[in-house]
Amino acid sequence: MSSATALRASIEAQIPSAFAVYRRPEQKTILTGISQIDSVTAGIPVSALTEICGSNLASSGKTSVLMSLLAQATQKHFCALVDSNDSFDPVSAETVGVNFSRLLWVRCGKNKSRLKPMEQAFKTTDMLLQSGGFGLIVVDLSGLPERLVRKVPLTTWFRFSRVVEKQRAALVFIEQKPHATSCAGLALNLKAKPAALSGNLLTEFELEAEVVRVREKKSSHSAKPDFSLKAQWA
Amino acid sequence: MFACLFVSDFPVQAALRLEPEDTREVLKQSPIAILDGPASLPRVMATNHAARLAGIETNMTKLQAETCGRVWLRKRSSANETSAQTALLDCAISFSPRVESTAPGTVILDLAGTEKLFGSMHAVAQKIALHAASFGFEVNVAIAANPDTAFYAARGFAGIAIIPAGEEAERIGSLPVDVLSTSPEMLEILDSWGIRNFHALALLPPVPLVERLGQEGLKLQKIARCESNRPLVPADTAVDFVESFEFEEPVETLESLTFILNRLLQQVCSRLASCALATNALRLKLELEARQINSEQKKEFYERTWKLPLPVQDSKVLFRLIYLDLEANVQPAPIQKMIVQAMPVKPRSAQSGLFTPASPEPEQLEITLARIRGVVGAADENGITCVGSPRVLDSHKPDSFTVQPFSAIDEDSDSSPAASANISLRIFRPALETTVELANDRPCSVTLRRKKLQVMAASGPWRSSGNWWSNSSAWARDEWDVALKTTEGVGFYRIYLDRIKNQWFVEGGFD
Repeated sequence: MSSATALRASIEAQIPSAFAVYRRPEQKTILTGISQIDSVTAGIPVSALTEICGSNLASSGKTSVLMSLLAQATQKHFCALVDSNDSFDPVSAETVGVNFSRLLWVRCGKNKSRLKPMEQAFKTTDMLLQSGGFGLIVVDLSGLPERLVRKVPLTTWFRFSRVVEKQRAALVFIEQKPHATSCAGLALNLKAKPAALSGNLLTEFELEAEVVRVREKKSSHSAKPDFSLKAQWA
Repeated sequence: MFACLFVSDFPVQAALRLEPEDTREVLKQSPIAILDGPASLPRVMATNHAARLAGIETNMTKLQAETCGRVWLRKRSSANETSAQTALLDCAISFSPRVESTAPGTVILDLAGTEKLFGSMHAVAQKIALHAASFGFEVNVAIAANPDTAFYAARGFAGIAIIPAGEEAERIGSLPVDVLSTSPEMLEILDSWGIRNFHALALLPPVPLVERLGQEGLKLQKIARCESNRPLVPADTAVDFVESFEFEEPVETLESLTFILNRLLQQVCSRLASCALATNALRLKLELEARQINSEQKKEFYERTWKLPLPVQDSKVLFRLIYLDLEANVQPAPIQKMIVQAMPVKPRSAQSGLFTPASPEPEQLEITLARIRGVVGAADENGITCVGSPRVLDSHKPDSFTVQPFSAIDEDSDSSPAASANISLRIFRPALETTVELANDRPCSVTLRRKKLQVMAASGPWRSSGNWWSNSSAWARDEWDVALKTTEGVGFYRIYLDRIKNQWFVEGGFD
C-alpha cells in the first residue's frame, strides 16, 4: 500500500466524508407552459434568479410568457407578483387560467410614499423571500425606465441570487434588458416577429426566445426557440 | 362543593396585573397605594400589605401617604378593574361553566362533577391558584359545601383552605366578624357586645338577636353557623375579550405605548387560550387627549380593526400587526387610554395533506403582508387594496377588478387547469392620454410617450358602453387594436376613444 493510499485510508477512518464527492441536487424547475421554451430551458429554475427580458415599446411577448408561467406555477405553488408599475391585467391572467387564490399581487407605486416604485418592489421582494413559502416570486420591472433599472448595483442582484439559492422558490425578474449578469441562473430575451393581422383582427404573435444565459445546461446556450401565441379571440 | 377565588387588595392587584412578571414581583414587596377621588384631593382607597406596614391607611390624603416614606402611588382605574374582574371570571370558567361574579375580586364557582376531571379538592384548589397566577393574580382559594362559607373562608384564610362538609362551623368559627359583608354600624354593635368572631356570633340566641338587629342580624348568624344556602347566580359566560389601560399621564412615544400594548395582548391571548378559543378579528381603540386635538380635527380617538384570514392565538403576531400600523400612523395627540378587543372564534384545526402545496406560514404571512402594506400603501386612490389576490369583477367595463385579502390557506385545490398561453395585455393604469390622427375614420398615427408613431394596421372599432344611468360612473368607448411602428419593432396597442370626454387613450400594449 502506497503512502498516499495509507494516508487517505487513515483520514477516511477519522472523517468518512472527507473525500466524498459532493453531488449537487438535481435542479428543480417550474414549466412555463410554452413547450418550445421548456424544451430548451427545461423550465424556470427553482432556487435561482431568472431574467425574462423584452422590449417595452415593441411587443415582445414577455407579459404573455409571464402569464403562462403564473398559470402553470399557481397550479402547484403559492406565487407572488411584485408589480412595480401596476400593469398586471387580471382579465388576461384569468383567460390563461391563473389560480388567483394562490397569487399574491403587490401593486407598487400607487401611493405617495417616500420610496420610489422600484425601491418598493425590491423591498417587497426582500420581505417575500424572508417570509418563505412562495414557490414563485415574479418581480415585474419592465414598466420602469431602463436607466433606473440599469443603476441597480450588482451587489443587489448578487444578494437576491444568494438568498434565493437557499429557498425552494424561483425568483423571476421581468425587465427590458438583462442586468443580473452572472447572478442569473437563466436569462431569456424575447423578440416578436411580424404579426399576422387576419382580416380585421390581430390573431397571432410569432415570437423568438433567445437564451442569453443558462447556468445548468451549457450546451443550450444561444438556443433560439421560435413559438407563436394566439389571441384569446382567435 | 363550591370554590371561591378571592383576590386580596383587588385594586392594587388589578393595577399590577399588566406589569411584566419580574417587575410585578418587585413591586409587590414595595408599598403601593391606590388613589381615588377628585383630582384636587385624591385619597387612598386601597393599599397592599407593605403599605399597611409602612403606616399607610385608607382615606389618607396623597400628601399624608407620601409622608409615610417611599410609596408607589397609582390612580385608580375602573377600566383596569373591570378587565381584571373579567380575567378572573375567565380563569374560573376554565374549571367550571357555573361561575358567579360575587364582588370585585371575588368569584365563586360550582365544582359539582369536576372531581374526575381535576382530581381531589386540594388538587383542584392548587390548579385554580396556579392558573390565577398565570393571569397575574395572587388568590386565596377556599372550597366548601355552600357558597357563603367558601366566600368567607377565602376572605379569612390566606392560601388554600379546604373545608369538609359538616366541619364548616368549627373551621370558620375563628374568623373575625370584621370579614362579614355588612355595614360598619352593625359591626360596631357586635363589637360593643363583645362578639369578636363567627363562633361567638353563632352561639347567640336567634330570637333576641332578631329583636335587636332585625333580619340582617339573623342573616349574619346563619352565615356564622354555615346554615345559609343561597343559590349561585351564574355570570354570563359569553364574556368579551377586552383589555384596557388608562395611562396616568398621556403618552406620546411609541415605545411607552407598545410596552403596555404587549401586556394587554398577552392577557387577551392567555384568556382566549384558557377558554380554548382564538381570534380572527382584533379591534384597537386609542383615546386621545382631547385638549391636544386640533379644532378642525374632531376625531378624539383612533380606531382600527384587523380581520385575520385565520384564527390566531399568538400575542406576538397580533402585537406585530398593531405595531406596524401604529408605526405608519402617527397620532395627532398624546394617547390617554388604550382598549384592545378580540373577537373569539374556535381555533383552526387543519391537517396537512400530502398533495397540498407548500404555503407561507399563515401567522408569519400576516406580518409580512402588514409590512408590505407599510411599504406600498394599503389602497390606491380608488380604494382598491394594493396587496392581495386579484379578482375579475362581473362587469363589461374594461379593467374591472378588485383585490381581496390573500390567504395562505389552500381552499381552492380543485382549480381549473392552465389553458394554453395566449397574447396578454399589459395595462397602463391609469390609461395614457394620447392624440390620434384619423384618415377615413381609421387611426393613422398615435402619439405615444411624446412620439408620433405611424399606425401600420388597425382593427376596430368595437363600441361598448355601460352605466348610462349614472352620471358619475357612465362609460362609453370606441376601441381599436393598432400596430405601431416603433424604433424597437412593431408594437401592438389597444387605444380607445372615450366618447363622454371625447378624448383618446392608450389602454395598454399586447405583449
